Amino acid sequence: MEPIKVGVISCSGEDCLGGTISRLAARKILERIRYGESVTICLPLFIAGGEEERGFAEAYPTITVDGCGKYCAKRATEKLSGKVTDVVQVADIIGKETAERTALSSRNLTPEHREMADKVAEEIRIKFDRIVEGNFKK
Amino acid sequence: MSNKVKVIPCSGIGKVHGLLAREMALKIVNEICPEVSQTECLAYIVTGDQDIRDRIQSGKCITIDGCPKMCAAKSVAQAGGIIAQEFRIVDTLKEYRGAKPGNATALNEEGWKIVDETAEKIAANVKDIYGEE
Ligand code: SF4
Ligand code: SF4
Repeated sequence: MEPIKVGVISCSGEDCLGGTISRLAARKILERIRYGESVTICLPLFIAGGEEERGFAEAYPTITVDGCGKYCAKRATEKLSGKVTDVVQVADIIGKETAERTALSSRNLTPEHREMADKVAEEIRIKFDRIVEGNFKK
Repeated sequence: MSNKVKVIPCSGIGKVHGLLAREMALKIVNEICPEVSQTECLAYIVTGDQDIRDRIQSGKCITIDGCPKMCAAKSVAQAGGIIAQEFRIVDTLKEYRGAKPGNATALNEEGWKIVDETAEKIAANVKDIYGEE
């Protein structure tokens, strides 16, 4: 059976730490943990791109990774592309207060922040594997 | 509603260009001129929620995009924001021919040099635009 690829879309929010962590965790999945099995897209391409980009969530089972309870990646994806298969929300994992701190430059990341990203990446991995194991195919 | 200049990067996830844009914006709003600039989450702008549309329409915006798709500029325009200037990382990189600034996850020394120098230039424009308000 053809292996399925899973989409991972992070909000990458610029205005709070949760967005920084969402981006880091998504990059980890794409680049290392599920390299070759995961695909992503720049979220604003749902506005700036064409039909192909807007078809992303129809083409791949998709996990959105949001920095906070505003769920921008999930809501924007569902509004402009298609229904998402699962969601990860950073504030649920690292706490609302921490997630709402100022967004950090990757130059100023501490081991504590990297640990947060690892926890979020692990949560994404669990949901990712559940989709693959369930042999979910859109 | 704040009339600080909004600096909105695309934060593109697939290539180093998006990370360069993101880091420049964070450097401007957090370090160089936080008194006259701020950022907003681009993904929030993409949702089209009224709250962020109202915020983006107060004051002027500078967008920083990684590639010619111009996601930040198009999203801000769609939300009704006034864009005083549009920057493109692809243009910036022409001034650094042959540069290898890192990847979409992390910048190297060369990447940080580009961020620091370009952020200073954009910040000068931010201050001018704020002064015109
Ligand atoms: S979910 Fe939160 S951190 Fe992410 S873009 Fe939206 S407001 Fe910003
Ligand atoms: S402008 Fe280019 S790099 Fe930036 S979000 Fe859009 S497609 Fe991605």
